[in-house]
Amino acid sequence: MTRTWRGGALPALLGIGTFVIALVLMELLIRAGAINRFIVPLPSQVLLSFWRLIAEENILDRFLLTGGEALVAGVLLTVVGMSVGILLHRIPLLRQACETWIAAFASAPIVLMYPLFLVIFGRSAVTIIMIGFTAALPPVILKTLEGLSGTRRVLIDVGRSFNLNHSQLFWKILLPAALPAIFVGIRLGMIFALINIVGVEFLINFGGLGQLINDLAERYDLSGTYAAISFVILVSICFFVLTERVERWLRPID
Amino acid sequence: MPAVDPLTDQRPDGAVRLYNADPILTVDDLVKRFQTPDGPVTAVDRVSFSVARGEFLAVIGPSGCGKSTLFNVIGGLSAADEGRVAVSGETVAGPHRAIGMVFQEESTFPWRTALENVAFPLEVVGMPKAERLDRARHFIRLVGLDGFERHYPAELSGGMRQRVAMARTLAFEPTILMMDEPFAALDEQTRLLLGDKVLQIQQDLQQTTLLITHNITEAVQLSDRVLVMTYRPGRVKRIITIDLPRPRTSAIVSSDAFGRFVAQIWSDLREEASRGIQDSEAHLGRDEATR
Amino acid sequence: MAQTDRLTAPTALNLATNSVVLLRLAIVAIVLATWQAVADSGLLFRDVVPSLVAIFRALVNLLADDRFYTHLEATAFEVGIAMLVGGGLGLLVGLVLGANRLLGKAFEPYLYYLGPTPKIIFFPVMIMWFGVGPPSKIAMGAISCFFPIALSVAAGMRQINPVLISVGRSFRAAAWQMAVKIYLPAMRHPIVNGARLGLGVAIIGTVLAETKLSNRGIGFLIINSYNTFNMPRMYALLIVLFALAIGANAAIGRVSGSKPRHRLAGLS
Repeated sequence: MTRTWRGGALPALLGIGTFVIALVLMELLIRAGAINRFIVPLPSQVLLSFWRLIAEENILDRFLLTGGEALVAGVLLTVVGMSVGILLHRIPLLRQACETWIAAFASAPIVLMYPLFLVIFGRSAVTIIMIGFTAALPPVILKTLEGLSGTRRVLIDVGRSFNLNHSQLFWKILLPAALPAIFVGIRLGMIFALINIVGVEFLINFGGLGQLINDLAERYDLSGTYAAISFVILVSICFFVLTERVERWLRPID
Repeated sequence: MPAVDPLTDQRPDGAVRLYNADPILTVDDLVKRFQTPDGPVTAVDRVSFSVARGEFLAVIGPSGCGKSTLFNVIGGLSAADEGRVAVSGETVAGPHRAIGMVFQEESTFPWRTALENVAFPLEVVGMPKAERLDRARHFIRLVGLDGFERHYPAELSGGMRQRVAMARTLAFEPTILMMDEPFAALDEQTRLLLGDKVLQIQQDLQQTTLLITHNITEAVQLSDRVLVMTYRPGRVKRIITIDLPRPRTSAIVSSDAFGRFVAQIWSDLREEASRGIQDSEAHLGRDEATR
Repeated sequence: MAQTDRLTAPTALNLATNSVVLLRLAIVAIVLATWQAVADSGLLFRDVVPSLVAIFRALVNLLADDRFYTHLEATAFEVGIAMLVGGGLGLLVGLVLGANRLLGKAFEPYLYYLGPTPKIIFFPVMIMWFGVGPPSKIAMGAISCFFPIALSVAAGMRQINPVLISVGRSFRAAAWQMAVKIYLPAMRHPIVNGARLGLGVAIIGTVLAETKLSNRGIGFLIINSYNTFNMPRMYALLIVLFALAIGANAAIGRVSGSKPRHRLAGLS
């Protein structure tokens, strides 16, 4: 998405238009009986279910619960991730030993260990938070490292020319310079955390939004299930876009 | 050769003098426009000229004069808005079999060896493997890269990569070879040496060549005629016949006649280039004012 | 002076690499020792942290058990088909969106914003559509890997050096020749990276689905170990699963970078 697009609003219209047309088509096909309404509910029903979810299923409370878990995981991520990143930056030997391991960790399917976490922490919010935290930790550490070591040489030289000591150098130059990269890492981490948190809520049938989906599915509440899934997707997208805006807003500091 | 003022080749009625009466490439009233945020811009404005068989024509002009646009339109990669391009009378409507192009940018395929790169056009036309590798080897030798057949472009210098690109186009055996500032990214010494190589190849193959360049020395050294373009919108400012004797070498750069040609072209270009600078300064001022 | 410098430099390097290796061994040793200590102490509920010997024994038993390989095959089959379906569709969609600017601008945002969402929540819908057998698991894996592959391919199409396309056109290559001789080779890095990412999430999607509802596969074995509180076996399964996942990732990396000169030529 590089060169400027001069077609105006056409692409957006095409994208949204296709989606709307698809929904209308679904509605018509299901009403006509071409698609089994016990497998795919009427889009109109799904839309109505949103209201039902808010009124009867406390979807907003569940949203807050999931959000709370994500927040705690996020705080843990930031504190632990940045600390480890800073530590590794300070001790080059440790960094050399561990960096590739952490990178491998990043691509490892940590969430698959959820039964293990279940055993250790029980069927509780702690399990959910811990999985979110563990799966999302590597990117925060790696980005912190990247940000700190990527500081332009000349900025460090400026600091040394003013006789700043190690600690001052770190707090006044290295850390501020690394903040954009660190934020990217935290954002990535939070996104991974949210994905895993909702996923595990669904899998262990405990918690907020993920559990709601599981619940509705087991009750064979078709339109409710679809509505809940759509709601979660919407929340996910909003979170992603919000953090993207914040990241872009922070970037000019660079 | 008919007696004519060696410095200009334009008849009073504006018609272009032909090297001989049977042109292999004709460009008639070519117009090409582009849409920009500031409105339509004419890049090429009614350009007409022709190239005779075996002739070496250089097209020179300041940056932004539409040389590369001309290159793309003649090569068939871009469509003209008005006018036509014809090869031996046949109108060009897309890449033509008779036209081979050497691009300004790095254009070798990084995933193929030098030999495989040169064999590419032969692969496209379906030549059997043994034959096309043989042919490719011939052209690799022609550009002086024997021994480097199995090297990948990443292992070759910039000048060598351009030679591979050239060999690749030559392997296509085009009637007309078009090159868009092929030496732009190279240093002066490599340029001169490659210029010699191009001269030699052209003389050996009697290859009709159209060279786009912004380098006056190169233009005068290599070509039979030089077409000077104006700044945007690009028009033909002047066509100069370079009647320096052939075969030529890079040594010709130091002759008096050479100097006179260069001076003439330089004064033409300077006029156009300064218009270019005024134009971009005006743009800059406008951008600043709107901020 | 130069002589001594040349003598000291290599040994300094050796020292550095040796230190790293030593440190790594030390870290592994400390982790294992701590583990065994916790296991022996009985601090946590029994068998939550089994002794290293118990885990090792379970691992050996697992690898010797024929039934394990049946389940492994089941999962591998599901992941394989998921990659074919999701990856194939992703490749096609990516090619189209990358080639056409209007379509790309219109539909790529969907992929971009739908990508980072928890796909496992679609599982109930997959069960409704495809039943409780392998197809619903395959569908889960396919959905998971579709997005990263489509996005990688679309981005890959756009980063192809335009002059290479001009070269193909100037030599009048037919559309299929352009696709096979220019587009695909020029995109091998994005495609391979997309495939790596895709494989990772396909494995996750499929195995997670297996833990939720299945009677075959590695995921089933894991949740089964949980339900029967056979902790050593669970650890063994996780070890095997992680080893396979990391191994598959490394294998793809090896295959793609197998011709080092190609790897250098990221010039496209």
